[in-house]
Amino acid sequence: MGRARVIVIGAGSTGAATAHDLALRGVDVTVVERGEIASGTTGRNHCLLHSGGRYCVTDQEAGTECIDENLVLRRIMPDLLELNDGLFVATNDEELAYMDGFLASCDRCHIPARPLSRREALEAEPFLTPDVLAAVQVPDGVFEPYRFCLAFLATALANGAQIRTFTEVVDLVTSGGSVSGVQVVDRRTGTRSTLGADVVINAGGPWAERLASMASVDVPVAPTPGVMVTVGRRLNNMVINRLNTPSDGDIVVPQRTTSIIGTTSWSVDDPDFIPIPPDHVALLIERGQSLIPAVASTPIRGVMAASRPLISRPGIDARDVSRTFECFDHEPEGMDGFVTISGGKTTTARAMAEKVTDIVCDKLGIDAECRTSEVPLDSYRRFHGRGSAARATAPGSTTLQPMRAP
Amino acid sequence: MTMTDQSARTRIRSAVRWFDTRHRGPETWAYALNRITGLVLVAYLYIHLAVLSLLVRGPASYDTFVDVVRSPVFLSFDLVLIAGWLIHALNGLRLTVIGLGFGVRAQRMMLVGATVTGSVVLVVMGLLLFGG
Amino acid sequence: MTINATIEIFRCDPGGANGRFETYEVDVHDGATVLDAIEAVWAHHDRSLTFRHACHHASCGSCSVRINGRETLPCIADLGEALRARTPVRVEPLRNLPLAGDLVVDVDGAFERMLASEMTITRTAEDELPLDADGNGGVATRPTRVSDGLLRFNRFENCVECGICISACPTMATDQRFRGPAMLAAIARARAESTEPEVREHLLDLVDGEHGVWRCHSSWECTQRCPQGVMPAESIMQLRRDLVRRRSRRVPR
Repeated sequence: MGRARVIVIGAGSTGAATAHDLALRGVDVTVVERGEIASGTTGRNHCLLHSGGRYCVTDQEAGTECIDENLVLRRIMPDLLELNDGLFVATNDEELAYMDGFLASCDRCHIPARPLSRREALEAEPFLTPDVLAAVQVPDGVFEPYRFCLAFLATALANGAQIRTFTEVVDLVTSGGSVSGVQVVDRRTGTRSTLGADVVINAGGPWAERLASMASVDVPVAPTPGVMVTVGRRLNNMVINRLNTPSDGDIVVPQRTTSIIGTTSWSVDDPDFIPIPPDHVALLIERGQSLIPAVASTPIRGVMAASRPLISRPGIDARDVSRTFECFDHEPEGMDGFVTISGGKTTTARAMAEKVTDIVCDKLGIDAECRTSEVPLDSYRRFHGRGSAARATAPGSTTLQPMRAP
Repeated sequence: MTMTDQSARTRIRSAVRWFDTRHRGPETWAYALNRITGLVLVAYLYIHLAVLSLLVRGPASYDTFVDVVRSPVFLSFDLVLIAGWLIHALNGLRLTVIGLGFGVRAQRMMLVGATVTGSVVLVVMGLLLFGG
Repeated sequence: MTINATIEIFRCDPGGANGRFETYEVDVHDGATVLDAIEAVWAHHDRSLTFRHACHHASCGSCSVRINGRETLPCIADLGEALRARTPVRVEPLRNLPLAGDLVVDVDGAFERMLASEMTITRTAEDELPLDADGNGGVATRPTRVSDGLLRFNRFENCVECGICISACPTMATDQRFRGPAMLAAIARARAESTEPEVREHLLDLVDGEHGVWRCHSSWECTQRCPQGVMPAESIMQLRRDLVRRRSRRVPR
């Protein structure tokens, strides 16, 4: 009787964090991903390490979740984050009036919040709009989604997980009322194979519904993309948010030597390819300018869009759908050994992973506690490069292997 | 696989890539030309010594030799050789200076300067060779 | 408005066998990038195409390819511009790295080098804005100051570990042990950020030797092709200066 085997479909932030948690608890886990790591939704996200400020007024649960996970990520991946805090800025009287309620909500969600005067805001952010009247400083941060996923996966690899990229699930293997594995194709060679598992976790993001249908179960995912525009200069050190209820183009996230303006929202049927609506780009530039006027004279460097994996509920506008996540154990629907984890955002990926791993371990009779909020992650570079931990001492020497000849 | 593990054919095939200047900048031209002129100059040295060794055969040999080397064809080869030497020496100076970490930001200007200087000197050499 | 684009993509088996170009025609949105066109080929024409991509805004470094012969990040390369330079647009994988199928290359060796460089991907930030890796220029900088006195700004390093410099370097074609521009530039940054003399000495040791900075022969392609303004060639020469200085100090009087 060997270790329990679990297959995770999808190597975005959800799949990566889940593989890490499972591996830490001693599960034999294989991740299958049809493309590059984070090539689905996660790669193209806004890179915002939420303080929770954006959600705390209308969704206390989401706000609290964010600040809790924000602090965990600072602990487990300290070298992978820009930690410059964020500002919620009021540029008119309406926004100024929003401040008291905002501060009270931050307090309820235990999000540290510090009011700043106009002068202090402009000293910290000299390119902020001169219309700023006041601001609130919160512990927003910035991450890079690709390295975020690589760090979780590198740690999972070190703990015995297998990660198979360019490996696409073409069917779920079902026997009776149970999923017992996946049928995959190695996209580089065209070879098909079947991988057996005790439990299959569907972390396919906007493709979760398509995957679930392979086992004849339904997962109500509504792919809802948003556009983000990256401009070619870093015009802000801190994340700049509009002090108001969430709306389009109300956040500018800095990263390296650029600033990223986001975002918008619309529904699509096919998440495989999302054409960028030009009016969304124009809107974002306009909204970005209203927060940082210098956006107007900064060339656009890149434009991206990928589908949020929102859990659809009939009759509710996409913006109002909760950004918390949900776990669907399909056993009550008559399909055992199959669990879908969907919704959420990268900031809360670790918490999502904890929840689904708890459910799966419970199914497998594994009694192991979740330690992912304490265990520091390995270097993301160890996903692609093994490298040696030992430091060579002689000049010019290293345990570096020569590049394999092309 | 280290370089020593590669077959000779692989190494030659790979070395050809040093000279692929397509879609590359002027510094890569300097890089490729430095290698080519280096090989040419080394080859010339052997040829030069071989030719000089013929002179031990005596005055008649020498006179025939001088007739050959004063021919326009031969002088043209000389000019090519001088060009090669100028490229290698002037770029070599540039590489020495930047290679020790001095004037690095000015490296392209040095390349331009070396090209201009070399061209001027080459023209003067040409005039001297073919003029008198 | 849409762009109708003809694009030639290199296809091959893992290892490089069966290498050939296949031509596709796609319709993409106005303002699309070359990566959008590649993705459209996969989504609408040829699901067997394999390629790497993640962030689509030049921060992950995973999508690097050669477009019309030049190393570039296709996620920020304008398709219209690429078509004007050459029609059909030619897309092929990076050089000097093992081919893993179509546009995918094996980046294990590259990441191993970055690991050995000990450069953390985050660094202390400058105390002024704006920051600019493209050399857009023309905007006067302004100082930044945070009043709580506790917050020190940090930021991600310019380098996105894309491997473009490794591909562009003609020397890497023949020396598989060469540290390479990415690692050498990273070591220069790691030395600049480190406050421990032992670490700085060890890193300087790593760049010495025949496969270190001395192997570079100044083609300058790394600096030319880098999409992030890292300037590896300049870093390599700076490391040489540091090495020479160190050696001259050790000469007994």
